[in-house]
Amino acid sequence: MTQTAMNTAGMAEKISIRNLKFFYGDNLALKTINLPLYEKKVTAFIGPSGCGKSTLLRVLNRMYDLYPRQHAEGEVMFDGQNVLDPNQDRNMLRARVGMVFQKPTPFPMSIYENIAFGIRLYENLSRSEMDGRVEAALTRGALWKEVKDKLNSSGLSLSGGQQQRLCIARTIAVRPEVVLLDEPCSALDPISTAKIEELIDELTTEYTIAIVTHNMQQAARVSDYTAFMYLGELIEFDETTKIFTSPSDKRTQDYITGRFG
Amino acid sequence: MASTLGNPTSLGNSAVSSPTAQAIYRRRRRGNTVLLSLSIGATIFGLAWLVLILGALLYQGFSGLSLAVFTEMTPPPGSSGGLLNAIWGSLIMTFGGVIIGTPVGILAGTYLSEYGRGNKLSTVVRFINDILLAAPSIVIGLFVYEVVVVRMGHFSAFAGMAALAILVIPVVVRTTEDMLNLVPNQLREAAAALGLPRSIMIRHVAYKAAMSGIVTGVLLAIARVSGETAPLLFTALNNQFWSADLNAPMSSLPVTIFQFALSPYPDWQKLAWTGALLITFTVLALNIVARAFLSPKAQK
Amino acid sequence: MVDAAMTGVISAGMDSAKLKRMRRFRAGDATFRGLTLGAALLVLLLLGGVIISLIHGSIPALSTYGFGFLTTQSWNPVTEKFGAMAPIYGTIVTSFIALLIAVPVGIGIAIFLTELCPPWLKRPIGVAIELLAGIPSIIYGIWGLFVFAPFFQTNIQPYLISFFEPIPILNSFFAGPPYGIGILTAGFILAIMVLPFITSITRDVFDTVPAVLKEATYGLGCTTSEVVTKVVLPYTRVGVIGGVMLGLGRALGETMAVTFVIGNAHKISASIMAPGTTISASIANEFTEAVGDLYTSSLIALGLILFVITFFVLAAARLLLMRMNVKAGN
Repeated sequence: MTQTAMNTAGMAEKISIRNLKFFYGDNLALKTINLPLYEKKVTAFIGPSGCGKSTLLRVLNRMYDLYPRQHAEGEVMFDGQNVLDPNQDRNMLRARVGMVFQKPTPFPMSIYENIAFGIRLYENLSRSEMDGRVEAALTRGALWKEVKDKLNSSGLSLSGGQQQRLCIARTIAVRPEVVLLDEPCSALDPISTAKIEELIDELTTEYTIAIVTHNMQQAARVSDYTAFMYLGELIEFDETTKIFTSPSDKRTQDYITGRFG
Repeated sequence: MASTLGNPTSLGNSAVSSPTAQAIYRRRRRGNTVLLSLSIGATIFGLAWLVLILGALLYQGFSGLSLAVFTEMTPPPGSSGGLLNAIWGSLIMTFGGVIIGTPVGILAGTYLSEYGRGNKLSTVVRFINDILLAAPSIVIGLFVYEVVVVRMGHFSAFAGMAALAILVIPVVVRTTEDMLNLVPNQLREAAAALGLPRSIMIRHVAYKAAMSGIVTGVLLAIARVSGETAPLLFTALNNQFWSADLNAPMSSLPVTIFQFALSPYPDWQKLAWTGALLITFTVLALNIVARAFLSPKAQK
Repeated sequence: MVDAAMTGVISAGMDSAKLKRMRRFRAGDATFRGLTLGAALLVLLLLGGVIISLIHGSIPALSTYGFGFLTTQSWNPVTEKFGAMAPIYGTIVTSFIALLIAVPVGIGIAIFLTELCPPWLKRPIGVAIELLAGIPSIIYGIWGLFVFAPFFQTNIQPYLISFFEPIPILNSFFAGPPYGIGILTAGFILAIMVLPFITSITRDVFDTVPAVLKEATYGLGCTTSEVVTKVVLPYTRVGVIGGVMLGLGRALGETMAVTFVIGNAHKISASIMAPGTTISASIANEFTEAVGDLYTSSLIALGLILFVITFFVLAAARLLLMRMNVKAGN
């Protein structure tokens, strides 16, 4: 990996990925990744399909645990704890490291319940406190105005863009510290995409964000740091402006100028 | 090849337009017509039985249908009566069998789809379940006879319920697993991403998403057991009288039909037809409702 | 300093509440997982229980008659001489007749449904076939006894008997008198019963043939029947055989439909018009009236034989269908 001298003084590493290897069965999908995620910054993972950027994201909240024959080696330090530790409580980890998926995934319940469900797991709140939390989350997710009159209708009745914002609201309602976004806009129209990008921008005041995206303009617009991955390797990691103006690696340059991928 | 010259639509020198090719093609066309006619014939033949059987049921069963069927007990030969105790017994035992069998079936189906997906145990359980699904129901009757009736020393409604429960389980296991498999993994991941424990994800998200399919499975199981005769013959036996005692023999519609139809008494035979009509339409209605319940997405 | 200590205390307090929840979640998860695992194991236990209880119940008969139980035709409750040959023969022959009729018809319907049927008609016919499968077997029995058998006796059997009379060998199969009930009638009713199973599985495996494969065959100029016989059937052979075996499993174990129309005679006749019996019909007819341990035990031994036969047939069917599924990439 190439990394030019970056001004990282005073930057806290929220998550530090060290010597991470990831296997699908016997297949090595990530080859020794070393990468920091800085606190309250947006880090974008870019690269051609199959380069391992989504895989990397799914290691951070151990989503891969749902499937047999997938395992990770190395260290992912999160506030001084190794995420990959077998004794790590996954539910707790995932409550602190939230995730939003490519396609909207509203639960088969009402809009209100979609938000309240996750909160109720970890907190005992009165009805009015819960109402406040739901409203706050939906407001934060830039959805409140559109749904405040139909909180009891099904989450599935919303449009695709609204569903995705509901999912973001649901994720931040449980007050995570890190939010992982796995191509959150790839199934959405341009207007919804713009709304979500705006939302990501606002979220950085409170959250550390990692976003996987196929769309380089999007990476350039929303992120502070960018990691370019290729064939399971981290090729280059730097400040976004640096990556998009003067990348150090030839492959990075080829990719961002559209020569492959 | 000269023959093709006069034919403006021919494909020129292609072999397809030679006289031999034409003859071969005619023969192939004939073969096609024969096979396709046979398949249409087979379809008509197959569907004709449904019409004939339902027709006979309606014709024979309706003439015996009266209020007395639902208000009076099964009669001794030669006198009039109804099927009240048999209907009651069928309702009770079917209900009991479904109440016992459904939770077991749903839990086992959950294991296969959620926890054991792809492991050895679930492969074996799925295989065995599929065999139980088609196993002769009379053998299940023998099993319950050996395990329950012989131990208790007498026939009982409870033994009948146990036999029906064993028939319910594989049906519910199968549909629960199938329906949970249709729940997209993304939904599971989304739930996990919020920090939901697995069991809460399954009970509050996956079950909800698969609900209509699971209900369909239970309805199909009810339809299946409410017409079952063989496993009740030597578990619940039969009872000429009203009985609400689960520890005593109990009458049921199918067993009563069996007994009455094979008797030489015309009154009994008529009641057997009426009972047959009731069962068939209950079962068919359950089948249709069950299918209507299934969301279009889950239908093939 | 004070602030730092405060936040420390607060976060520690949060942690202990969260820790408690975490423990509860873990316990809840483990309990639920245990419950589902228990239910799955119960399914295995049921099968084991069925086998063990049947073996246990048939020990008296099997130890008395030994291997001869399988090869003896006599079934005499008075002298307590029991042999399983007649019911085994009846079971196999009725099932064979059933498949002889149901397999070609079932495949024919599947061809119609997948290749010929206009789309609007697909669903109604599919539902009708499923309904046929849903009718309880006792209904087939009562209909067979009161409607089909008398019709068969007066309109079909006399014709069959006279038709086959001059043909050597075959005439002994179709020897009179026309009873209406008997092996052939039972086989016919069974055919109607297993038809829906064979049809729906065959249709499903036909549907697994990739559209491109069929299109490529049509693209060569093949007719529908050539596509079916040259591509669809060879491609799905394993699955179709699996479906047939599944139908066979059903036919072997079917009780009520057969009991009504088989005639319940413990003898093996050359003619398939004659009354006979099957394993399941014998059990259904005689079990509650069986007096004496040996009689009961002999009937349970019949049940064991039936279960073993159907187990292997159904297991083979499942293995074939699994192979088919692997091929279809499911």
